Amino acid sequence: MKMDVVISGVGGQGNIFASLVISQYAMNKNLNVLGAETIGAAQRGGAVVSHIRMSDGEIYSPIISRGQADLLIGMEYVELMRHMRLLNPKGMYLLNAMKIPTVLNNMALDEYPATEDILKAIRKYCPNGYVVEASAAAKKLGNIQMTNVVMLGALVKTAPFFEYNEMKLLVAANSPTRFKEANVKGFEEGYTLLK
Amino acid sequence: MKEKKYVMGNTAIARGALEAGVRVVAGYPGTPATEIVDECLGVPGVHVEWANNEKVAFELCTGASLCHVRALPVMKHNGTNYVTDFLMHVNFTGIRGGLVLISADDPGGLSSQNEEDTRILVHQYAHLPIFDPSGPSEAKAMIKEAFELSEKTELVFCLRPVTRVCHARGIIEFDDLPKNLPPAHYEPDRERFIMSAVEMPQFGGIKRPQIRHRWLNEKQALLEKIMEESLYNWTEEGQGKVGLIGCGMGYTWIKEAEQLMGAKLPLMKLGTLPLPRKKLLEFVKGLEKVVVFEETEPFVEGLCKRIFQEEKINVEVLGRSGFLPSDGELSLQAVLEGVEKAAPKVKVRKPETPAMDIHIPIRTRTQCVGCNYRGILNALKQTVRKHKGVVAGDIGCHDAGSFRPLELQSTIYCMGSSVPMASGMVLSGLNRPIFAFIGDSTFYHNGILGLINAANNKINVNVILGENTVTAMTGFQPHPGTGKTLAGEKTTPVNVPKLAESLGVSYRVVNPYDIKQCREALEAAVKEEGPSLVVSSMPCFLLSTRQGKKVFEPREVRVDAEKCTGCMICINDFGCPAISFDKTKKKVSIDPMICVGCGLCVDVCQKGAIV
Repeated sequence: MKMDVVISGVGGQGNIFASLVISQYAMNKNLNVLGAETIGAAQRGGAVVSHIRMSDGEIYSPIISRGQADLLIGMEYVELMRHMRLLNPKGMYLLNAMKIPTVLNNMALDEYPATEDILKAIRKYCPNGYVVEASAAAKKLGNIQMTNVVMLGALVKTAPFFEYNEMKLLVAANSPTRFKEANVKGFEEGYTLLK
Repeated sequence: MKEKKYVMGNTAIARGALEAGVRVVAGYPGTPATEIVDECLGVPGVHVEWANNEKVAFELCTGASLCHVRALPVMKHNGTNYVTDFLMHVNFTGIRGGLVLISADDPGGLSSQNEEDTRILVHQYAHLPIFDPSGPSEAKAMIKEAFELSEKTELVFCLRPVTRVCHARGIIEFDDLPKNLPPAHYEPDRERFIMSAVEMPQFGGIKRPQIRHRWLNEKQALLEKIMEESLYNWTEEGQGKVGLIGCGMGYTWIKEAEQLMGAKLPLMKLGTLPLPRKKLLEFVKGLEKVVVFEETEPFVEGLCKRIFQEEKINVEVLGRSGFLPSDGELSLQAVLEGVEKAAPKVKVRKPETPAMDIHIPIRTRTQCVGCNYRGILNALKQTVRKHKGVVAGDIGCHDAGSFRPLELQSTIYCMGSSVPMASGMVLSGLNRPIFAFIGDSTFYHNGILGLINAANNKINVNVILGENTVTAMTGFQPHPGTGKTLAGEKTTPVNVPKLAESLGVSYRVVNPYDIKQCREALEAAVKEEGPSLVVSSMPCFLLSTRQGKKVFEPREVRVDAEKCTGCMICINDFGCPAISFDKTKKKVSIDPMICVGCGLCVDVCQKGAIV
């Protein structure tokens, strides 16, 4: 059994929290886990990506290579597309319906693709996936920073590998005390977003 | 008691050093090495600090080592370059307490100004031994052994992790920390520790540098013997006449590739320098060629070629000197392609995926929304445009001002080079105002020397110090202007105005959230003869926010579409990610989801359209 997960987003969207929760879940299942993060300069509004590799066998590289990922979690449209080719087309994607324009998009020197074109390209690549209004839900709950926990809730709903109660406990355990209650609520909300 | 934790490679390295009984840890922040220092903090009896540069860190650690205490200088490759002068002395004297240099390399320049391989500097140039880990858990084992071997050989040992080791996460076993470390003591040994051109009577008057060089050369045999027995080098059986050699992460990638190869090729894993010559010769017996996978230069490849030539062995050696890509990170793809080329009979299953048939915009990093640098950079942009000025830049968050849309700084090289380079532009006779922009951490690193030089030589350069009171880019490490140590102890921050006064440099302190004030100060600096300093002083917005402190009163900001002419100054001269231009409406708008209400753009807009 192996499960390779890529989480991509923009610096500040809470990738690392999500990747830690997933990694700990696998550890509790007594699986081998290896992962990698982009941190450092890329944090400042740049593209960030986390790799999490889980297996009951040996894992060597912390980096997921082309076509290996079983699951791609995109916190933003373009960032999902940037790492799309890491995903095995038979795998699954989970996309937060959020657009963060780039500097060149802002200057009108580069086009941010239209939503329908993005969805068409993604679905052509991989038929199995979900688009979640996670940032909108997080904002409604009072804090857009909760996008990551909403996404984790949606993940549990769509990927049977993850069990609801265990993941909820891990979300709580990894949250700072003052955000614990809100984060759990965000997780629960995420679980209900997809029917 | 052993405990298993899922941690970053850097945490594993720090834990290894602590378990080895390290007592003094010093470094200068730099991705990918930074967290190693942070993670050493909090153990009683272990001093952990951010030094103002890597050379200071290394020299400080050597001082501790000469008192028989284990020490750990931590840096990225650029820092090791900066330490070279000292390294080329301490290799001759040797050390006492275990001294392990962490020199982290960043193949692909993922978070660096350049891409390089410090194995060449440390091993080829300084003749010191290196461990090259293939992952976090091996890195932890290696650093513990490096401390032992450093003491045994009296030499500095180096651990050279690459980004994919530092920032990998894995399950690591934590052992107990040692108790009752032996106390420090010092005995003079001037024949070793006075590095000077003095005659040595017992060697017939030969000067000391040559004798110490001889000492270091004689150590090489001992090192080779140690590495011959090292557990970090091994071979794995396989079929055929083509062998693979994997160094550090190279080995990791080969193991990944094996799962997609039709046959297992003979494999040698290497993790040490010097190389285990006998093991290597044993491995290549019966092989026609070997392919060396290493990060990043063809260094082990070259050493193999030399050894085979010395031994008159006819084995072809292929690697990163043209056979494999000679730049960038290794990857699964690169290994599979290399195997395919070197051993065409081996069936290789290269994972292919459909192309994404859509334009994917590139995302470059920029300053945070609300960052105070945006104010001073905008003021400087206007001043430079007005006076046809040139700006030499430096390392740090402000460097994003050199990217689009601002394209302000014209040069960025390495730590502290902005002021001397700007000085040289002045001295070239170029009759334009010349500016140097430098952040405060970089200033204390060594940029201060450029200012002293400019003052001393009366060079008409305009230095702008971005004083955000922290090393922001690498994650908020304190520096001499912060006012506290890494451990949180209060200190006296450097008083920049007093420093400028003592140098005879005119100075103006401005609030970067006040663009008008910044412009006036820059204007005055341009008009003035001789070196001048504009101190743009305000704590980092991101750190302040995390600490619950306000650096400005947030306000609601919006665009008055009636007044907006679509001139785009607020985008081209300012570059805040919250502001975007609508091509069809020919107006800008502010995204309230992204805006933090710093209000700087209100002053940037010349039409009064942002309110």
